[in-house]
Amino acid sequence: MTMSGGVAPPTFEEVQGGGLTGSDRPRRVGSGWGRRLLTVVAVCIYIYLFLPLLNIIVYTFNDPKGRYNLSWDGFTLANWADPFKDAELTSAFLRSLQVAGIAVLVALVMGSMVAIALSRYRFTGNKVTEVFLVLPLTTPEIVLGASLYQLFLGRNVVLGFSTVTIAHIMFLVSFVALTVKARVRGFDWTVEDAAMDLGASPTRTFWKITFPLILPGILAAALLSFALSMDDYIITDFTKGEFSTFPIQVNNQFRVSFPPQVNVLATIVLIVSVLLLVLTSVRGDRSSVTTR
Amino acid sequence: MSGPVTRRQFMTRAGLAAGGLVVAPSVLAACGGSDSKSSGSGSSEGKGDAQVWFDNWTLYIDKPDDELYGKGGTLDEFQKATGLKIKYTEGINDNGELFAKIQPLLSKGQPIGPNIIAPTFWMAGRLITLGWVEKLPLDKVPNAKNLITSLQKPPSDPTGEYSLPWQAGIAGIAYNQEITGRELRTVQDLWDPAFKGKIGMLTEMRDTIGLIAMSEGIDLDKPTFDKFQPAFDKLDKEVKNGQIRQFTGNDYVDDLEQGNYAACIGWSGDVVQLSKSNPNIKFVVPESGGTLWFDTMVIPNEASNVDDVAKWMDFVYDPVNAARITASVQYISPVQGVQDELRKMGGDAAELADSQLLFPDASTLANLQSWGNLDKEQEQLFDEEFAKISGT
Amino acid sequence: MARRATADDRGLRKSKWAPYGFLSPGIIWLVLFFLVPVGILLKASLSTKPSRFEEPVFDWNFSNFSTAFGDYGTEFVRSFVFAGIATLLAILIGYPLAYWIATRGGRWKNFLIGLVVVPFFTSYLIRTIAWTSILQDDGPVVALYRLLPWVGADGRILATPMAVIGGLTYNFMSFMILPIYVSLEKIDFRLTEAAADLGSTPWGAFRKVVFPLSLPGVFAGSLLVFIPAAGDYLNNRYLGSPQTSMIGTVVQNKFLVQFDYPQAAALSIVLMVIITAMVLVYSRFLGTEGLAV
Repeated sequence: MTMSGGVAPPTFEEVQGGGLTGSDRPRRVGSGWGRRLLTVVAVCIYIYLFLPLLNIIVYTFNDPKGRYNLSWDGFTLANWADPFKDAELTSAFLRSLQVAGIAVLVALVMGSMVAIALSRYRFTGNKVTEVFLVLPLTTPEIVLGASLYQLFLGRNVVLGFSTVTIAHIMFLVSFVALTVKARVRGFDWTVEDAAMDLGASPTRTFWKITFPLILPGILAAALLSFALSMDDYIITDFTKGEFSTFPIQVNNQFRVSFPPQVNVLATIVLIVSVLLLVLTSVRGDRSSVTTR
Repeated sequence: MSGPVTRRQFMTRAGLAAGGLVVAPSVLAACGGSDSKSSGSGSSEGKGDAQVWFDNWTLYIDKPDDELYGKGGTLDEFQKATGLKIKYTEGINDNGELFAKIQPLLSKGQPIGPNIIAPTFWMAGRLITLGWVEKLPLDKVPNAKNLITSLQKPPSDPTGEYSLPWQAGIAGIAYNQEITGRELRTVQDLWDPAFKGKIGMLTEMRDTIGLIAMSEGIDLDKPTFDKFQPAFDKLDKEVKNGQIRQFTGNDYVDDLEQGNYAACIGWSGDVVQLSKSNPNIKFVVPESGGTLWFDTMVIPNEASNVDDVAKWMDFVYDPVNAARITASVQYISPVQGVQDELRKMGGDAAELADSQLLFPDASTLANLQSWGNLDKEQEQLFDEEFAKISGT
Repeated sequence: MARRATADDRGLRKSKWAPYGFLSPGIIWLVLFFLVPVGILLKASLSTKPSRFEEPVFDWNFSNFSTAFGDYGTEFVRSFVFAGIATLLAILIGYPLAYWIATRGGRWKNFLIGLVVVPFFTSYLIRTIAWTSILQDDGPVVALYRLLPWVGADGRILATPMAVIGGLTYNFMSFMILPIYVSLEKIDFRLTEAAADLGSTPWGAFRKVVFPLSLPGVFAGSLLVFIPAAGDYLNNRYLGSPQTSMIGTVVQNKFLVQFDYPQAAALSIVLMVIITAMVLVYSRFLGTEGLAV
């Protein structure tokens, strides 16, 4: 590898692009003691990352005396027997899934198209577009949210499901475009020519050659976008009106109660996401072999 | 087939077509935003086939069997008695948040989902001043005569035509005696250096500033910003020197139990409930005075089925029904005759009938003050100063 | 990546219209819902509100900006200091983990780096509330903390700057780990073996070879942590106190509670300008051209 590869520009667009790819044997780096120490440190950091999640999971089994499920009062399975007990919370949870589902789908299509344009073509305005794509990521969420709030307010648009979804699509488009683009960077487009020279139609070429090649990038982007949409609080706070997503509902309700069902629903998402992760990392291994 | 040319054409067309496809619905969606005005508060579904939709605060009505709303208790009794369907949601957590939610709709003369909401008296006052709530059909609410005298024609609704109180309560001092190690009596006790960093305030400006103002000898009936400056200065001082830990909503009950707070400003009903499971948690009306507040029922503009709403109001102003609610929520009922009904119910409910916090006697009442109305400009000054100090 | 393919031998297209067709949906969306709104925000920041519940009127009112600096300087400074410390901590904690996954992950790599993303699936709000449960004054963590010689028996973690900075660090940690991992992943670690063969210590090899090559990742990660941290208000709401309130707290309150749109807009614009300036300075300092390739 050349040095220029390393100093090559900051890797915004690669942030997650390479994240789910590649598989190597462990490298022998450093001394034995150093390596062992590093492993211990890494395990500690994982524990730190997962400590609040562990707390969330443990407290699904709590039987709180009062309205706040924040200190341990006794073991129960009742919360799992009735995960959808809190009607407001449950519907907010479903709305979160809805917003994330729609926003991710739309952002994936639009973002991937941008990525294809940027990596497949040379055209005037290429550089400007790339800088423009990065801007939403370097703008604080509160500014994104506030400016959308002013836009919708000024145009008499009633805040709600549509405005929250529009906002989520907005911050996901850049993200998907940069992630997928990182994935397709360096991709040799002449394979398309080859396919067509062999008589494949353009449509067939796209679905048989191009699409499978960018698919792992799209999948990685899909998973992360979904997580970012579920995670978002600030932009949603500004575009929600009387609508609420799961985190918004939890925050609003926190002034009066914090029921164990919050933990149960959060834990369900956790379990599903870890399962998805296991599946995609297996997939990622296979597809990364085919991409190379 | 000569590859490049045809493919380029194909890709060009595909790109443009896809562009059109994706953008068109999205623009539609953007415009469609203004059409989805009937989406409900808290929940996105509409009123359905219910005639009455009451959006209230959490844990503010009896739900004896803890089933889904509308089963059991007052809600069920109402449906049985009138044949009307009621939808009951718990979408209100904070007055400011409520206002932010309904303001875009009501300011444009559009209906919000629910046809009864429960703003606190001062927020009801703001809505009345802005002309965003309808006159109540009081001629169809004969039981409104049961409204206790102290809450008739309050400053927030001088003619009493726009709002009926839902529940009332007292803001005073709540403390965890296990941590304080002594009884607290005055607001000054909160500034005891021993409790540094363990004192909580409410984000509800009127209760926090009200209590402090009274301890500084300021009356609440004709509030002006100038008059209240000493109270703000005091609050600012105690925030800056680290005495005050946080400003919260109801979550102070958790902080009290967890030992994060030694004492705080709190609400009577909460503490009555809390002290059942934890006898160390005490509530006291400070010697300099506590605030008397109440939440109201108001009908937002453009609401449907106003006559059915009247039936609901009439129903809950019947002392029998009001007593059932009081037994569960343990706040001050605005309905005369509840005390007797509670005694008839016997057991725990009868005990409540003797509580000073639910049925304050003359001497307790004399120690309580209600806020006078703040006009728009004054309220803005109060709110801004409070936000700056509390950092919320 | 032994060599970078040049445009032509990768079969890059030079179509006149196709790229714009592909770009248009995404770019139009960003123009409509990012660029235009920021313009509107700028306009709002120069407006005046006749009274609280009336619409703002645009009148080149620059006083919103002088108030922004005059009255809220403390919150600005505090936000940037907190975000800066959180970023440094995130590097210190995130780098070793990214390095470990990149060098020792083996065939579990994808899974291990994926785990870093898992916390995102529960909202950061809920994770923050979980921290309040972990760090409560009567809890075991604080009990241990009080054993520290300089802490004392009534020391606490919640409602202190430490808690807020800790929350910021934790909540945005994954944004640090991912880009560092990506840049480490690209490094050919035979270089360090070569360095070792030439007599370099492992630490020396790391410092002179690996670390400089991973700097782009550290750079991207720093921005991805610093920017959201500087504009955050949830960590302060749950973990902080009135004395730790940040600029996000003020902006949120002014917009959504006070309806003081002009002042809130001015504060947002100032925040955005300062951050953009810092991004530019930071990228110059690291000798890179900008954020895009």
